Amino acid sequence: MDPLTIDTTKIKITKKKPVTALDKLNDTGLISTVLAAREREGLILFSTIDQIFNWARLSSLWPVTSGLACCAIEMMATAMAHHDVARFGMEIFRASPRQADLMFVAGTVTKRMAPRVKQLYEMMAEPKWVISVGSCANTGGPYHDSYSVLKGVDLIIPVDVYIPGCPPRPEAWIYGIIQLREKIKNKGYGAKWGLNK
Amino acid sequence: MRTEELLINMGPVHPSTHGVLRFKLTMDGEIIRKCDIVMGYLHRGTEKLGEMKTYLQFVPYTDRLDYISAFPNNYAYVKAVEELAGVEVPLRAEYIRVLTLELNRIVNHLVMLGSLLLDLGGSTMIMWGFRERENALQLFEMLCGARMTFNYIRPGGVREDLPEGFIPKLNEFIKDMENRIVDYEELISGNEIFIMRMKNIGVISAKDAINYGMTGPSLRGHGVNYDIRKIEPYSVYPDLDFRACVRNECDSFARYMVRIDEMRESLHILRQVVDAMPEGKPTSQAKYGIAPMTGAPTAVSTYFPRIFTPPPGEVYSRIEAPKGELGFYVVSDGTIKPYRIKIRSPSFCNLTAIPKMVEGLMIPDLIAAFGTIDVVLGDVDR
Amino acid sequence: MNPAEEIKQLFPGSVVSTGLQTNKPLATIKKEDLLIIAEKVKEMGFDNLSLITGIDYRDRFEIIYNFFSYAKKQNLVLKVILDHDKPEVDSLESHWKVADWLERETYDLVGIKFRGHPNLKRILLPDGWVGHPLRKDYDMGVDQFVTLGEDGEDIVSTDGSNLLRR
Repeated sequence: MDPLTIDTTKIKITKKKPVTALDKLNDTGLISTVLAAREREGLILFSTIDQIFNWARLSSLWPVTSGLACCAIEMMATAMAHHDVARFGMEIFRASPRQADLMFVAGTVTKRMAPRVKQLYEMMAEPKWVISVGSCANTGGPYHDSYSVLKGVDLIIPVDVYIPGCPPRPEAWIYGIIQLREKIKNKGYGAKWGLNK
Repeated sequence: MRTEELLINMGPVHPSTHGVLRFKLTMDGEIIRKCDIVMGYLHRGTEKLGEMKTYLQFVPYTDRLDYISAFPNNYAYVKAVEELAGVEVPLRAEYIRVLTLELNRIVNHLVMLGSLLLDLGGSTMIMWGFRERENALQLFEMLCGARMTFNYIRPGGVREDLPEGFIPKLNEFIKDMENRIVDYEELISGNEIFIMRMKNIGVISAKDAINYGMTGPSLRGHGVNYDIRKIEPYSVYPDLDFRACVRNECDSFARYMVRIDEMRESLHILRQVVDAMPEGKPTSQAKYGIAPMTGAPTAVSTYFPRIFTPPPGEVYSRIEAPKGELGFYVVSDGTIKPYRIKIRSPSFCNLTAIPKMVEGLMIPDLIAAFGTIDVVLGDVDR
Repeated sequence: MNPAEEIKQLFPGSVVSTGLQTNKPLATIKKEDLLIIAEKVKEMGFDNLSLITGIDYRDRFEIIYNFFSYAKKQNLVLKVILDHDKPEVDSLESHWKVADWLERETYDLVGIKFRGHPNLKRILLPDGWVGHPLRKDYDMGVDQFVTLGEDGEDIVSTDGSNLLRR
């Protein structure tokens, strides 16, 4: 639901019935100050840029389809019917990094794959987030001693959330995704643009 | 008309390469003239790590070779070590092993069918496949607590006995699965589009297939009646009644049908295993090699020592994994660590045939043929 | 009849010894005669080359071929012993196509050269990687990094400053 295009003429605000769309919006905690002023047929919402943008961003994270190893199979399991990652608006795995804003580094990053992973990350448009999944991507994991494995993907790209496990269960993935949503929710973009001075 | 040759790169990050594989295609218009395969993007140095670990410590690494079917990997390695060390395994352990192997074969084929259909553009099968896979994974979880990387089959037996309530749940799964396979067949096998994309695509003669080192279900789609479970029987397979599923058409559709048939055979085997499951201990109680490490005994491998020294020697032992012939070449020099481990992975050798198979086809056909070979990149690159 | 013994009868001068590798017949042969014997082995019906293993024994290299015959349901193991200084052996690529990649892998990881191989390049590790990891004297302490060149090819160096974050 987009807060900016709500047809307000159909909404009747009564204090005793907190079930209107506006109240629901208010309940999300994303738009802290919702003032409805009925002026002819319009509605004015007051919020901050941060909250509106963050709300939109965290609700439609599109991951890039880049499975590296074992964890990618659990990524598929997370996306499929049983665990259903579509609940978080991220069922659309994009084949092109240009259209994605989230990258799961799911699996062992080998020395040979490392520049490609970095290139993928650089190809993604801002804002972008990275979740490092599994022991291999976090630290090298069981392959830490190997000659051909990078000891953690955070050596080459910045990571927002680490999910431990070898491979992590789909529940762990979902927990990691929720952590990322929390992180996005609390980020201030307005400050970066000098908007909320 | 002569046209300019075009070089097209597919991968290493491409949705239909099942991981990190790269095709370098030399195209003449839409026709593939030459297909070069570049691999190694998931080369993790497993064989070298094997030389640094003790025999038992290497078992978890085998899980991560072919991560869709980890039980056969466990078993192939453990079988090699047991042959090397001359370990007797109790009958109940062997039955539990066969149970896990066949259950994992079904899981593997479900994933294979799902990703094949997804690559061809149909997303129903992957949803269905993963739905049933989830049920099987719950069984695995009951066994050993893990969904994909089990570390369950150990030298001398299995880690733990079957938990309570496992067999009834397995029976439920078998009963459910029988109907599901009928569903799959109704959805896929008669689908006109599917048949058009699979029939007479990726044809390679049986002689060529053997020469290129193809094994397993991919080879049995070429009319070669070859199943290691039959030819070099291991474990309790000689006591079980099953047949090797063979199709003669040599094309992608035949290779797909072999998988469907194999799932039925695996269910048939599972039913027999459940009926014949003997009583007893799941781990060998024989003392072997040097004494176990000092320290508090744990529930893990209670009887079989964690550290043992097989006599010097070498062994090549192979099994029929869901993807083909999976073998481990283990060399012992009489110490607690293997001197050399060489993995004969089915995916690596099956992949050899792809360039020959897709010559003269189009890119969509490459994807169809590649999907029926059923490759996992962890297994290819090791 | 045991195929290893059969080979010994046919080529008494080339077979060093015969025996068993656990339960599979094994023939150790001279490296000069590998190609002739391989031709005969193929004629005998061993159409599947299962595996090529190269082993570094510090003083010598051993290369082991595991064959299987679909028609006869028989196994055969051939073993060739190579000098440690100059590990070189004839390629079997012309007889078994699967040997193409198996030999490349052995070359890549163990460093055994195959004479007559049409495309003897590294297969799992990128071109330019220093050393063969499965040799016993491979230095595990040196980190080698891969970066991308202009055409997307791999460039291997011990300097990871282009790749790693500062």
